[in-house]
Amino acid sequence: MSSPSDTRDSWRQASPYLDTVLDLPPAERAAWLAEVRQRSPELAGHIERWLAACESVDTAIFLDEPAVLPAPVAALSGFEVGAYRLISPIGHGGMGSVWLGERVDGRFEGRVAVKLLNVALVGRSGEARFTQEGRILARLQHPRIARLIDAGTTAVGQPYLVLDYVEGVPIDQYCEAQQLDVPARLRLFLEVLAAVAHAHANLVVHRDLKPSNVLVTAAGHVTLLDFGIAHLVQGESDVPGEARLTRDGDALMTPAFAAPEQVRRGAITTATDIYALGVLLHLLLSRHHPSEPHLGDPGALLRAITDIDPPRMSSRVDGRLRKTLAGDLDAVVAMALRKAPEDRYASVDAFAADLDRYLAHEPVVARGPSAAYRAAKFARRHRWPVLAAVVAVSLLVASQVSTARALRTADHRFSQLRNLSSQALGLDARLKDLPNSVAAREALVAMSLDYLSGLTAEARQDQTLLLEVADHYVRVAQIQGVPTAPSLGKLDDAERSLATADALVEGLLVDRPQELRALELSATLRTYRAIIADTQRRDADTNRHLDGAVARTDALLAIPGVSPEQRNWAASLYANQSLAATNLHRYDDAVRLARRFLELDRERPMEPSIVANVRSTLANTLRLSGDLDEAYATIRAAHAAYRSAPDMSTKLNLYGLLLREGLILGEDGGVSLERPDEAVVPLREAFTMMNTMALADPNDATSRTRTATISRELGDILRWQHPADALEVYDVGLTRLAERPDTVAIKRSSAELLASSSYALRRLGRTGEAKQRLDRALALLTAAKDLPADPTPIDGPVHTTLRARADHEAEAGAAADAVRQYRVLLDGFTRGTPDVEHDLTNANRLARLYEALAAAERAAGAVSDAAATDARRQALWQHWAQQLPGNAFVARQLAASAPAAR
Amino acid sequence: MDGGEHPNLALLFSAAEAGDAASSAALFTALYSELHRIAGRELHRHGWGVSLGATSLLHEAYLDLSKRDGSAFPDRNRFMAYAARVMRGLILNYARNRQAQKRGGLFELTSLSGEALQVAAPIDELSRVGQAVEDLADVEPDLAEIVDLKYFCGFSFEEIAAMKGLSDRTVRRQWTKARAYLLTRVRDLDA
Repeated sequence: MSSPSDTRDSWRQASPYLDTVLDLPPAERAAWLAEVRQRSPELAGHIERWLAACESVDTAIFLDEPAVLPAPVAALSGFEVGAYRLISPIGHGGMGSVWLGERVDGRFEGRVAVKLLNVALVGRSGEARFTQEGRILARLQHPRIARLIDAGTTAVGQPYLVLDYVEGVPIDQYCEAQQLDVPARLRLFLEVLAAVAHAHANLVVHRDLKPSNVLVTAAGHVTLLDFGIAHLVQGESDVPGEARLTRDGDALMTPAFAAPEQVRRGAITTATDIYALGVLLHLLLSRHHPSEPHLGDPGALLRAITDIDPPRMSSRVDGRLRKTLAGDLDAVVAMALRKAPEDRYASVDAFAADLDRYLAHEPVVARGPSAAYRAAKFARRHRWPVLAAVVAVSLLVASQVSTARALRTADHRFSQLRNLSSQALGLDARLKDLPNSVAAREALVAMSLDYLSGLTAEARQDQTLLLEVADHYVRVAQIQGVPTAPSLGKLDDAERSLATADALVEGLLVDRPQELRALELSATLRTYRAIIADTQRRDADTNRHLDGAVARTDALLAIPGVSPEQRNWAASLYANQSLAATNLHRYDDAVRLARRFLELDRERPMEPSIVANVRSTLANTLRLSGDLDEAYATIRAAHAAYRSAPDMSTKLNLYGLLLREGLILGEDGGVSLERPDEAVVPLREAFTMMNTMALADPNDATSRTRTATISRELGDILRWQHPADALEVYDVGLTRLAERPDTVAIKRSSAELLASSSYALRRLGRTGEAKQRLDRALALLTAAKDLPADPTPIDGPVHTTLRARADHEAEAGAAADAVRQYRVLLDGFTRGTPDVEHDLTNANRLARLYEALAAAERAAGAVSDAAATDARRQALWQHWAQQLPGNAFVARQLAASAPAAR
Repeated sequence: MDGGEHPNLALLFSAAEAGDAASSAALFTALYSELHRIAGRELHRHGWGVSLGATSLLHEAYLDLSKRDGSAFPDRNRFMAYAARVMRGLILNYARNRQAQKRGGLFELTSLSGEALQVAAPIDELSRVGQAVEDLADVEPDLAEIVDLKYFCGFSFEEIAAMKGLSDRTVRRQWTKARAYLLTRVRDLDA
């Protein structure tokens, strides 16, 4: 580049295009540039030059550090901090310095470590919070946890922490130095687990567990450092050479020990510690880090943490150690390292119990098929976060407290408590979006509940104030765990807070049944209680709270003074209530409630993405209820809304709509309009869309799994009439899956595709290949530990595969084998006890199984068995014909099951 | 508060935002001296050696000023966007003063000049970057603002994204672009 004005000119031309090209995956940039070059070689030249500069500057150390850093700590020996005097510096990190200290008053308390934190980390406004949370952490007392003795700020505003001074060696170094064998390492690790379990029981998450925070003392016992400190100072490292906490303050963690949710900035829970403990155990047992090949490259490491299942731990070592680690210990570590927090051990105690079992030579839970089975069993449940966006509004609406009235109250103590409580809740609104805020939020909840119990006592006389207390309880509950938004996940605690609020509001409504705020609060908290009960599968409670919530929402809307915001809020409550009703199989109510939402939307339009979302879930409910024509009309309406508002692409995915539309039109073997030719159209569009995305970005996981999903739905429809076409579609799905790391989930999806494609192969006369694919599918499910399965699941990959094998036997003429296999599947139904009398999907599934079984029985010569099976199928549809009189789908099934039709 | 005549910053802000150049210059000067004053006060308060980073200095300034000028004061995000530019001027000015005394290397303002800021970057680099940023502010002011917030004030991407109402990804992309431009310009200046 030559003169400054040339540089500027060149920049001005290229700059807008740089935004576009920098947003493309690196692999696509050259092609994009080539296209521009065809139109304007000169412009392309400018863009190329600056793109190269952008690409190289990302790896250069240029402006990496801010221009101004906080000044270093001057010589402070002899300085007094709280009740302690600084003796000598122990370490210095980016976040502050650590000093050896002793008590000023000479009272013996052993030596302490004093951490002086940079003012910038806490800020003057955060002093109170810092001190308060410090006190909460100080209550954490356990022989294996270094105590936080004091936390506070000095008179001049210097924040500090006083901790037990621990002399010891990081646990990994200790194990090597002592050459401990595997059982000895496990026993030491169990000490770590005991300490972490104690902290978790006290609502403190460590969030930065790693060897340098787990020291082993000369006596051979572990001591955990810095419990809960990570969030107080937003992550700090004072061990020389360990300065690997990521910079920038926006993702403070030690990447090598970070859990996927930390990398993704998701909710931090006790499961986050369990992941880090898994990494630690992997390291201690195998001397290798699970993501070892990626440790040198931060970007690759973060991707590995979120996307790549590490190879089995035992594969990292050889010889005898390999034999020791293979099997149970592999399974235990893998369980702790699962990507999804909910798939890991449910608690540190469960983790420890499995290791105890191993040491006692008992089978470990991690190896059992139960986890997979459970996951498959609940996969069909409808998810809550659909309306998270709506619910987020609630804080605004629900927090309109009557300040003026509260100010009039003469009771000074009440105002004080009230302010503290409001501040705590306000603080949470700001905290919740920060990474690593769980322990702080937990501390806030504890504080708030303290205040609130005080407030309730003080407010006895004043109903307005009681309403406010109830409102605060609801907000505390949201922090504790209402499953519509990220929370601390403590559903039982949330339910307790909501029940308290419910009782307060009920008391008020007795005197003033028309009070808007009380009705709004009551409708809200009862909806939340229904959601929690549903999540915990307490159906009777869900029913009760749902009815209560609907009644209160109706009452709220019936009052003339209701504000537009309250109407919108009531609408969103209806939408959530509709989901709860769907989960309870109360489809009529669910449909009615969703339509109430849509009516309110017509009167006063709401956020289009939310409306489209409600339409989409309504379509699903309608389909589940058997009302397929309405389901189709509804999904088309959602579709139209989506197409007319293209900016919604990030909020609502077209893929989901297309898939749902295709399934309603003609899901193979499902509850559908049975119009396969039309179903193929949206499914093919979704298939092409996802496959194109996958081909464009070799690292995109989502588009790959979605291509596989849609290829199965599409292939299943095509395989009967267009087997060659279907085979091609299935194989694209299989190829996309093969491009993903080989996880259990990938094994399951691959098995489903292989099994489903066997039908197409037989129709093409390639029976041998069909058999091979079925065998491969079974092998994959065995490797995933889904097989053997007893009882067999009623849907999902295992069911699909076993059903395909039985169908293969039947078609190949091995009728007796087929009969036996169908009966095993039927047994799964009997023992799984799905509600086939109220759940059309399951009824239909069962009926199709009867149909296949009867055919095989007839082919095997068991004519009377076949007749009995047919009769059961017909009875099932007769029941449904009474249940849904005039329903076209049911009528078709009933007609097909009548003896004349056979 | 240390008494004296304070210009009403809230008024200056609205005038400057309405495009009044004189108010803009007055605002810069006023903010500049405010930041100076607060830095001095903080240093005094924390006398024994701990000092503020640029980020917390700006937070302090905002708290002080908004308290003083009351409800008409602009919101935090708008304040920061302005103050960040002032901070750049402040730091570059430090750098220039220091450069007159001593060439090159790390230097520390705390002990030498009694100021509460410690400039970490080498002075030569800093003054070249300063020139390049001024150039960038001409060509693409939005990018210069990102540099002010990120480099001169030490805000994180997340904070900047929240302040400017942009996505984290956009801020990071702008930061890459800005650095690419600055590095090229700095090299031009070197040549």
